[in-house]
Amino acid sequence: MMFAVGAAAVTITMMLALLRALLGPSVYDRVLAVNMLGTKTVLLLALTAFAMGRPDFIDLAITYALINFIGVIAVLQFFYSRDLRKAEERAAKSAHGGAVGPSQAGPQ
Amino acid sequence: MIELFGVFLLALAVITAIGVVQARNLFAGVMLMGIFSLLMAATFFLLDAADVALTEAAVGAGISTVLMLSALALSGAEEKARSRSRILALIVVTVTAATVIYATFEKPRLGDPNAPVQQHVAPWYFDMTQEAIEIPNVVTAVLSSFRGYDTLGEVIVVFTAGIGVLFLIGAAAPKGRASPSQGDLPVGLKHHQPIRVVGKLAIPFILLFAFYVQFHGEYSPGGGFQAGALFAAAIILYGMLEGEATALSIIPAPVLFAMSAGGALLFGGVGVVCMLLGGNFLQYDVLLAGSPVGAQQMGIIAIELGVGITVAGTLLSIFFAFATRDQS
Repeated sequence: MMFAVGAAAVTITMMLALLRALLGPSVYDRVLAVNMLGTKTVLLLALTAFAMGRPDFIDLAITYALINFIGVIAVLQFFYSRDLRKAEERAAKSAHGGAVGPSQAGPQ
Repeated sequence: MIELFGVFLLALAVITAIGVVQARNLFAGVMLMGIFSLLMAATFFLLDAADVALTEAAVGAGISTVLMLSALALSGAEEKARSRSRILALIVVTVTAATVIYATFEKPRLGDPNAPVQQHVAPWYFDMTQEAIEIPNVVTAVLSSFRGYDTLGEVIVVFTAGIGVLFLIGAAAPKGRASPSQGDLPVGLKHHQPIRVVGKLAIPFILLFAFYVQFHGEYSPGGGFQAGALFAAAIILYGMLEGEATALSIIPAPVLFAMSAGGALLFGGVGVVCMLLGGNFLQYDVLLAGSPVGAQQMGIIAIELGVGITVAGTLLSIFFAFATRDQS
């Protein structure tokens, strides 16, 4: 019973997080939603592992916690390097009087 | 009770899938794919498929998000507008979906004791695992011993897929190229101390956990595939924090290629050794004279190591191929 209440609470939170990820509107909403869904998955796994009487399956929850962290770092790095590149391109543009650099004219 | 939660999670997964298709912003699509992977992994876990859930966690939720973002860094942020008619694609998808749904009518229900698989295949595996290999994790026994040929095939597929990706996006970058991340620009997340410190603290634990999953795979969920992905995740984290060049100086690209090929070679090599000792290909019983059970366990540990090395090498090669590619 305890498990059912806990799991129901977690799954409803997952649904709300998914709603936020679908609606957006900004990318940060989505990042936060993914992060939250990851945390809820860890919780759900831990709950289920104990409810099924197999606490050794907590290994999986640890994996999720570790992997989730890497995902968030990847998102951070993605935006960080994209902002840097944009700033660099803007600087190059203004320095060459609006001339398009080879990085933009080159074939994809 | 469990079924109810399973159905609920699957419904969420369907909604997420529709969201992925609808998303015009590619970053939103990548985030929704991550959510889809998490939901699927939770469903696998509820169905008591812990090994599969662990693979989905390590590969689906972690590595593929990182790889997708690496690819996204090389492309535009928005999906291109499609003007061509998509009627043919719609027909193909509808027919395929109808066929698959029709096929499920013949499928036995979940947990049906009269299903063919429960009649002779599954009991045989359970009995033989206890009798011939004596390890608690039946999944590992099936994967590496009873169906070792299939797993060897999977490892070769992983290796081939890695070659394919490297062939497409270029394995070795030309020397002396001007990378946008070189020069006076900061590399990686080096200048963000909190992330760097916490991230570096996590790396040894992820590596330790990867080795645990690798060598404890006979007793708990896990094995070569999951461990290889976790190992790759730790190195990728290091690459993101310190810049790809620093990470590549620790594990150079040739070492990664050697790992991809060497793991598959180790797997095949174990099979050949079995043949040389008078058994069949991948028949581990002959590896240790006088102790078939010990020989089975030895063979399983050896081939799981081969799987782990190949998976780690291939995933890292693909990541670095994306990350060090020029933006042009």
